[in-house]
Amino acid sequence: MWVSLAAIIVVASAIGIGIMLAISWFPAQGSNVAPKIDTFWNVLIVVSVPIFVSVVTMMLFSIWRWRQRPGEEGLDGPPIHGSTKLEVIWTIIPTIIIAALSTYAAILLLDIQAAPAKGTRVVNVNGIQFAWNFETKTDAGPVKSNLLYLPVNEPVTFDIRSKDVIHAFWVPAFRMQVDAVPGITTSYSLTPTKVGSFDIVCAELCGLGHAYMRSTVTVLPPARYKAVMAGLAHASAAVGGSK
Amino acid sequence: MEAAAIPAPAAQDDHHHGPPVANQSSRVNSEVLGILLFIISEIMLFGAFFAAYFFIRVVNADGWPPGAGLPVAVAATNAAILLSSSVTMHWTDVSAKRGNQAGMRIGIVTTFLLGCTFLFIQINEYLHLGFTPKTSASASVFFGLTGLHGAHVIIGLLLLWMSAVRIFKGKVGPANYKGLEVPGIYWHFVDAMWIVVFTTIYVL
Amino acid sequence: MASKIRQAGWYRALAFTILGIAVCIGLSTGLRAAFGLNPVYDGTAVLQISLLMVPIFFLGGIGCFDYWLRWASGRKVVDDHADHGAKSWKDYFKVNTDHKVIGIQYICVSFFFMFVGGLMAMLVRAELAAPGRQFVDPNTYNGLFSVHATLLIFLFVIPVFAGIANYVLPLMIGAPDMAFPRLNALSFWMLPLAGVMMLLSFLAPGGSFAAGWTAYAPLSVDAPIGQAFFTIAVQFAGASSIATALNFLVTIITMRAPGMTFFRMPLLVWANFSTSLLVVIATPFIAASQFMVLLDRALGFNFFNPAGGGDVLMYQHVFWFYSHPAVYIMMLPGFGIISEVLATRARKPVFGYRMMAFSLLAIVLLGFTVWAHHMFVSGMPNWVRIPMMATTAIIAIPTGIKIFSWVATLWRGVLKMDTPMLWATGFIAMFTLGGISGVMLAMVPLDIHVSDTYFIVAHIHYVLFGGSLFTIFAGIYFWFPKMTGRMFNEKLGKIHFWLTFVFFNLTFAPMHLIGVQGMPRRVSDYAEQFATWNMIISISSFILGLSSLLFLYNMVASWRSGPKASSNPWNSLTIEWQVSSPPPIFNFDTIPSVVGGPYEYGVPGAVHAIVGDPAKDLVPAGAGATEGHS
Ligand SMILES: [Cu+2]
Ligand SMILES: [Cu+2]
Repeated sequence: MWVSLAAIIVVASAIGIGIMLAISWFPAQGSNVAPKIDTFWNVLIVVSVPIFVSVVTMMLFSIWRWRQRPGEEGLDGPPIHGSTKLEVIWTIIPTIIIAALSTYAAILLLDIQAAPAKGTRVVNVNGIQFAWNFETKTDAGPVKSNLLYLPVNEPVTFDIRSKDVIHAFWVPAFRMQVDAVPGITTSYSLTPTKVGSFDIVCAELCGLGHAYMRSTVTVLPPARYKAVMAGLAHASAAVGGSK
Repeated sequence: MEAAAIPAPAAQDDHHHGPPVANQSSRVNSEVLGILLFIISEIMLFGAFFAAYFFIRVVNADGWPPGAGLPVAVAATNAAILLSSSVTMHWTDVSAKRGNQAGMRIGIVTTFLLGCTFLFIQINEYLHLGFTPKTSASASVFFGLTGLHGAHVIIGLLLLWMSAVRIFKGKVGPANYKGLEVPGIYWHFVDAMWIVVFTTIYVL
Repeated sequence: MASKIRQAGWYRALAFTILGIAVCIGLSTGLRAAFGLNPVYDGTAVLQISLLMVPIFFLGGIGCFDYWLRWASGRKVVDDHADHGAKSWKDYFKVNTDHKVIGIQYICVSFFFMFVGGLMAMLVRAELAAPGRQFVDPNTYNGLFSVHATLLIFLFVIPVFAGIANYVLPLMIGAPDMAFPRLNALSFWMLPLAGVMMLLSFLAPGGSFAAGWTAYAPLSVDAPIGQAFFTIAVQFAGASSIATALNFLVTIITMRAPGMTFFRMPLLVWANFSTSLLVVIATPFIAASQFMVLLDRALGFNFFNPAGGGDVLMYQHVFWFYSHPAVYIMMLPGFGIISEVLATRARKPVFGYRMMAFSLLAIVLLGFTVWAHHMFVSGMPNWVRIPMMATTAIIAIPTGIKIFSWVATLWRGVLKMDTPMLWATGFIAMFTLGGISGVMLAMVPLDIHVSDTYFIVAHIHYVLFGGSLFTIFAGIYFWFPKMTGRMFNEKLGKIHFWLTFVFFNLTFAPMHLIGVQGMPRRVSDYAEQFATWNMIISISSFILGLSSLLFLYNMVASWRSGPKASSNPWNSLTIEWQVSSPPPIFNFDTIPSVVGGPYEYGVPGAVHAIVGDPAKDLVPAGAGATEGHS
């Protein structure tokens, strides 16, 4: 019985892990952070599936093996009150798993939130009901826009602020998110690694237009980026000058 | 199967006119336990406002005190008033346990009047502070905590009023004493809480 | 008529309500005049004062305070138990001090709000069936999901557990009633008031409250007046749950039958003991958070106004210091129910009884140390986030102990897979999934990505629907014969389970995926790429919603004309099953005496309690039967 149960759990876990890893969970990997988060996710799956499978297998097996059959209506099960050995085991094993995962997560957190190097490009992100606007300094002068442009493979720090209510600056492809909180500046840094356009989403309920508070980040090769920014700087200067 | 073989009593014929007396499974009396648990809840309510105080004064470093200094002397006087009302409350309790009707009456009236004096001074202080809750977050915290305490003084006074009515109707004595004991415990809590509020708001 | 108005009841409640509104108008205009404010009549001010005070007038009218006021004024009070028990259905609409009547009142009212809240979920899913706008404008949409969550949390899951425990807990510990029957009645009557207030918010100018059930400042401070309905209704719901919790604690501590030591208490009693501790300690924090919002809104305080030096994150700290424990307030009583159902239907003692009790207490303790895991993307430094991640993950250990012990309880039992048991085992599977996604969410790096996405929506529904609601169904089916004296329709119960189980998973499992893929929560519109999944989810959710009608029909029809239930249809050992179904008006003739553990199934001749005629000589089980382990 024990051997076949163990076999069922191993096989079912393997199948479960296989299916769960085959699902394409995440959007495109757009930053240096993304592969790390995705790997972490895979680790979590590999750890979680066997736990779920074990619980459900033991339960279904019990139901199948010991369900009340006709004629057993008056019977009771054996008066097993517990087993200290078992209880110690199922306290210690989860403790080890939890400790390991937490350590991994803490190291990963410190890694993805490491302080940016001096001179990293800073983009000021301002959340307002219900739009984002972005300010950055370029060689061609300051740029203000509602769309975000970034050069590929160059680290960037976002300083995020809000003047009205709380928003959250989330780029799913970058796997990073932080709230825009009135009164304080929050920030995160990362390096875009993939050329293309990605969604910017407001993830914190901010009122009527929250669902529509979406924008786009366009990651460009450095040369293209320079050209686009020069154009935008010109436009920003024109707007600023006409004031 | 045998395990559950105790027969249930048949449907009740109505020969009972009341419930059976419950088994007393703890030495603590239920009313006293009730008010103590309620006080735990109240402490947590104050705790939340102290959390606000902590965030705004310490984390956010909004200037403290709000306005140009708080009237510490007035608040200290008020602390003395409330503390003495605790003493008179205790005296009322003791009188009740001894069946001293005159002592009870004088005690509860004195306690009540001291409580009213506290409230009067507090409201008067509000009017002469020179700032309002709208002035700043620190001011909001000041009014939030002292106002919350003031509201508790009012509740305490209401309870004392009830006890007073019952005392003057001769319903309280050594045998019938919980109606005084429970408001008394609450009143001591209100007094003690003022010491905490006073210390954090005015002294620190 | 005049005599009707003088008597406690609905006529007087109506008269008092009108009087209350008049008083509030007078108070508001009087105060404004005194402070020289213009205009003297301010509708918003009147509305807010009325929301605070009129419910109290109503409670006075319906008769919640009569006894106390008479007592306080020194008049003679007679406790003739005239308001005990229910002789007709009309008695359920009166102030009643019988814990069994109050239990039923609680359960019916909270299920009413479950259906209302569920209907709102259906509207939400209809809107989300396709991208773009279908039926409702964004403001109504935000209102719908906010009221949905608020109703189901404050008016369903929390009170329905209080209702079930109200009914069975005094019976289980061999008490004739709760410790404070009149406080019990008051806590019940505050509840429908809070619920009605939340629903009325839809009529407020500017629409209902729409800042989510979390009502984050400063959004909730700037929101239209509908938000005040939330702010104030939560005070009443909170006061109700504090009063009930206090009542449970005092009842459990002081009114246990002789012989009912703490380690002979059924685990449902343990669960409610733990829950009540959480409620008494944590609930004042949500009261405070909403008081502060109200003060900011109504009187211009600056608690959450950064321009005035206020602290926006402070709201979240205070709010979650309650609202994280609240998830255990919504789960621990369910743990208790599952232990009762499993032991009885598996005919085996609960595995590791003592650890089950201790893990409840461990969860209570740890529950207070993890609140900031809801704020991992709020801009907190790592030195707060990492410890909070660790404590959150640690809660998985006592929770795991419970799950493993339940499975071990099934092992080698004689499992009767009837409706309550299906719900209980279904719960174990679903809650394990919810627990696993909970541990994933505790991991900060992953949480950063999935915060405020549909992954959260999936997680919370696996915990609160697959978790709490499954246990509620298990409990309702399990104690239905005791409460009504009739049996429910077993076949319908099973169909109800399987429909719910299948469509619950089809509704909520895909939400994990679309959340990770990038769909934020609380949106009425979404990117095109999520359209297919949302359509599937919406269709499943409609069937899920319809399946609950089966439950409703089963309950109503069986209550009216189901076959009569015996006193102990499940052959349970605990005390509530040793009295008639429904129990006698005062529960017991004489207080039972407890002689053994509550789950001694399989021990020959084991007895938990001697109920009824103590003269009948029953042999208690050996001393070994009371030990935790054998
Ligand atoms: Cu938003
Ligand atoms: Cu939480």
